[in-house]
Amino acid sequence: MFELIGISPVLLFGQLLIGLINGVFYSMMSLGVAIIFGMLRIGNFVHGAQYMLGAFGAWYLLHLPDIFPGLGLPSLGYWWALVLVPFGVGLIGALMERLFIRKVYDLEHAYGLLLTVGLAMMIEGIFNVGYGAAGQQYSVPESLRGGINLGFMFMPLYRVWVIVFALLVCFATWYVIERTKLGSYLRAATENPDMVRAFGINVPRMLMLTYAFGVGLAGLAGVMAAPIYQVSPQMGQSIIITIFAVVVIGGMGSIFGAIVTGLMLGLIEGLTKVFYPEGSTTVIFIIMAIVLVFRPAGLFGKETSAHHPSDIAAARPGSFLENGRLWLIVMAVGGSILPFLVYPVFAMKMLCLALFASAYNLVFGYVGLLAFGHAAFYGSSAYVAAHTASIWGFPTEVAILSGVAAATALGALFGWLAIRRQGLYFAMITLALAQIVYFYAIQAPWTHGEDGIQSVPRGYLFGVIDLNEPLNMYFFVLAIFLCGFALIYRIVRSPFGQVLKSIRENEPRSISLGYSTDRFKLIAFTLSAGLAGLAGGTKAIVFQIASLADLYFMTSADALLMTLIGGVGTLLGPIVGAIVVVTMQKELATLGSWVIVVQGSAFVLCVLFLRKGIVGTLEDFLSRREERKRIAADGGKASAPALDSEAAS
Amino acid sequence: MNTAQSEDNIIVANALTKRFHGFAAVSDVDLSVRRHSIHALIGPNGAGKTTMFNLITKFLSPTEGRILFNGRDITTEPPARVARRGIVRSFQISAIYPRMSVADNVRMALQRPIGSSFHFWKSVKSLSVLDDRIDELLDAVGLLASRDQAAAGLPYGRKRALEFATTLALEPELMLLDEPTSGLGHEDVDRIADLIKQVSADRTILMVEHNLSVVAKLADAITVLARGKVLAEGSYSEISENPEVVEAYIGGSDD
Amino acid sequence: MTEAADLTVSNLNAWYGESQALHGMDFNVRRGEVVTLLGRNGAGKTTTLRSIMGLIKRKTGEIRLGDEELQKRLPEYIARRGVAYCPEERGIFASLSVDENLTLPPVVAPGGMSLDDIFALFPNLAERRGSQGTKLSGGEQQMLAIARILRTGATILLLDEPTEGLAPVIVKQIGQVIGKLKERGLTVLLVEQNFRFASKLADRHYVVEHGRIIDTIDAADVAASMSRIENYLKV
Repeated sequence: MFELIGISPVLLFGQLLIGLINGVFYSMMSLGVAIIFGMLRIGNFVHGAQYMLGAFGAWYLLHLPDIFPGLGLPSLGYWWALVLVPFGVGLIGALMERLFIRKVYDLEHAYGLLLTVGLAMMIEGIFNVGYGAAGQQYSVPESLRGGINLGFMFMPLYRVWVIVFALLVCFATWYVIERTKLGSYLRAATENPDMVRAFGINVPRMLMLTYAFGVGLAGLAGVMAAPIYQVSPQMGQSIIITIFAVVVIGGMGSIFGAIVTGLMLGLIEGLTKVFYPEGSTTVIFIIMAIVLVFRPAGLFGKETSAHHPSDIAAARPGSFLENGRLWLIVMAVGGSILPFLVYPVFAMKMLCLALFASAYNLVFGYVGLLAFGHAAFYGSSAYVAAHTASIWGFPTEVAILSGVAAATALGALFGWLAIRRQGLYFAMITLALAQIVYFYAIQAPWTHGEDGIQSVPRGYLFGVIDLNEPLNMYFFVLAIFLCGFALIYRIVRSPFGQVLKSIRENEPRSISLGYSTDRFKLIAFTLSAGLAGLAGGTKAIVFQIASLADLYFMTSADALLMTLIGGVGTLLGPIVGAIVVVTMQKELATLGSWVIVVQGSAFVLCVLFLRKGIVGTLEDFLSRREERKRIAADGGKASAPALDSEAAS
Repeated sequence: MNTAQSEDNIIVANALTKRFHGFAAVSDVDLSVRRHSIHALIGPNGAGKTTMFNLITKFLSPTEGRILFNGRDITTEPPARVARRGIVRSFQISAIYPRMSVADNVRMALQRPIGSSFHFWKSVKSLSVLDDRIDELLDAVGLLASRDQAAAGLPYGRKRALEFATTLALEPELMLLDEPTSGLGHEDVDRIADLIKQVSADRTILMVEHNLSVVAKLADAITVLARGKVLAEGSYSEISENPEVVEAYIGGSDD
Repeated sequence: MTEAADLTVSNLNAWYGESQALHGMDFNVRRGEVVTLLGRNGAGKTTTLRSIMGLIKRKTGEIRLGDEELQKRLPEYIARRGVAYCPEERGIFASLSVDENLTLPPVVAPGGMSLDDIFALFPNLAERRGSQGTKLSGGEQQMLAIARILRTGATILLLDEPTEGLAPVIVKQIGQVIGKLKERGLTVLLVEQNFRFASKLADRHYVVEHGRIIDTIDAADVAASMSRIENYLKV
């Protein structure tokens, strides 16, 4: 039979085994993510980093004598690690909950995600500084070496152990949650935390312990993974996005669903490796897209209609900081002077990223949708522009426009898929969809894998202006930026933009006024994708390269970070944010790998202390000053709303 | 019911049932609202009044039953389309756009019918043709002086008035008001009640209201819901004499 | 200090978001009393109970238990002081079985009922122990909601409309239960719209309107004040 379909049984079962191994890890990890999301309403992006901590924990225990020479510490092997590390990682989790995550429970979901993204960057960045990209080896414990010969294939003993033990852990977790007293507290608090508190149960402490438990599971998975995969700082980064996709596919509200979905997807991935190897990295994300079309709530999920009004935007209507005409002139003048003050290449980078962040702000700031996959539009446009310019010989301006067209089309497709869900789901879905493009670019022949498309010709603008002249190139980029800025300003201040803002402010109300809000969101998302593409295409021409980094999720995170630092939902915020981030990256370039740690800390600090961003905080200051002036002008008669005085209790 | 009667009814709900996880919030409810009347839905907490609202405006889909608006079956239509047909609702908690100005709040309602809402290339100034109408509406609810202020800064009662002006701006054929006077002081209650009376002249109003003096003053017809079912229907005097209604409100003499 | 006011609420204001629900509530419940808050929908009765339980964040004024100020305390602390709350929507957990619902609230003080006592009081629940919480009938859910706070040893029970939407025979049963609780010396603060039900149980009635107490009627004066009461409550 195997000969009939041209597949050897060794290959088939070998890949199924690998799929099963991956599957049990997916199960364990998505179980943790699902429990944490269920109880805390936090999309725990740092879960991957916590898994990595588990693997490193095991490695450290083994190398205790080398790390602390002279203390006479013993080298603790796998079995010790299996017991100690999950507790250690869980303890770190409890600490993180206490110090950071607790602060964002009452905030918009976006902040929980941003906070954990920042924490993940910090942790992974620190390990990256210490260990670089190279993986550490961790050998299989003595007692689990060797294997079983099944006749048609060789079954390594350690893998059998991993499958059996991981399934046991998953089942035990399921049992504890569904069948024990402790689990009944968890289930009850997930349903109605207020009621549980009214019974005298310390729910905040429970939340901390739940988080610690979910994180401990990730740590355990890390220990078990150490002998199979390489122990490296990056090991968690690649898995977390897959885990988010698994959670979207499985749907929330079912512990059992998370376990089954994880296993199933691992197996499907394994099978894909046999029958269509090129698709194995993307198959989970494609399944996610299909599930979203037919069962938006996920395979095992319950319908959730919880709507959280966004509370993120910081703009003040009528402020001079929102006067686009004024700032267009200021930026045109300032932009013309800039290349004589700093390197034109540096200035161009700033302009590209400022446009990118402004495009992103259109969906996050003005519609309130937490998109987390804008790298897909930025990067795909960069690739298309680079390819059409260097291979097809398109004129520069046409190459960039081709990139914009590609990004817009992709935006329409992704938007159509993602608009079905809101809040955190929207972020997870856009992130996963962007991963499809990333993996496609790794494999497709025309994108040249790790190398990317290099030596892209800058060419001649309209066939006459030589863009190899740095200043010519610069003013072309400045013109593009100003056009993009003007378009965004126009969109925001158009009848359409008014509807977008109304959706952000109160979507049910807009529906009740007769707006089909999903169509508005989709158009805004598509426009934003196109503008992100404009930034990406331009960037490919400026730097003469399109590379995987443009598509990597960190690029999406950059857009978010710039918008957040500058001020979400303000006209100038993303631009200020881009200036800050690009300058920071340049100034910190000497720090090497520490840059990512600094950037992660910036995320965390912004979420905790500067949620309104620089421009938003400035707006607050201005509005308070204005208020004081007004009160003074009224002869000291405070005309503050009556409610505020009632609130001041 | 005969056809003549149903033509007089702007909305007819037949055997409407909505179940949540097996629990029937509304079960087998028939409701007909006469054109150009003020119809009140009252009943104890948990009777299913807000669920009825959500069903009629399609914010919820009924598990069973049918809803006809002007004789047309709207049971499967999405909420935004139902709104465009002329059924506009208010919400229990004041539904305003807090960070928009008072005038822009009303503008949101007025701009949809002029059809430029998808025009992202046009300036927002193209909407200034609506200014006169906005001022007229704000004047009607006594908010003209606050027109350029951010809506978030209004006192609660004024927010309800703004919401009312926004709802009214759409000139809805059928206006659904969910507890329009809840959380208001006496003065505001009277002002809103007068407004409701005033705007009811050539339209139909269906309201959920706890304040029975408001109901007594305004409603032409009352439907009493209890435990998701219709307990009684009629005028205020009929309802207040109905022993079942009295029992639902004050409690039965069970022994 | 048996005669001392056990639960005292003074000048309590509370808000839901921007909407003020309580405008200076003043009342007290002495130890061992059954006291009702009467009033129409939206008068602020439920908000009062939720405020006492610490479930409403935005409030001013005083809530004292004996000499202890509870107004700024968290719900988990208040529960440990022996206050238990049975909400109007009953708060039965759908994902928990009857048994799990029943044993969920931890014991906060000695002197609570045993499971056997509880099943003797609510025989229907004994038969449904394995069922999922929300598969119960409305009456059974209400009994479960009351039953589970009897186990904990709480001495002050806040019951929010325990008879709402229930058949007369069940209402009667719940009335008997509250009577027995009173015999055991528990303090009950009862929110009711069903006055005829409440009048048989309570030592005192407070009439709530627009978030404040507008009238107080002692049990002895109920017969004489009947028309006044009906005026407050009727349609």
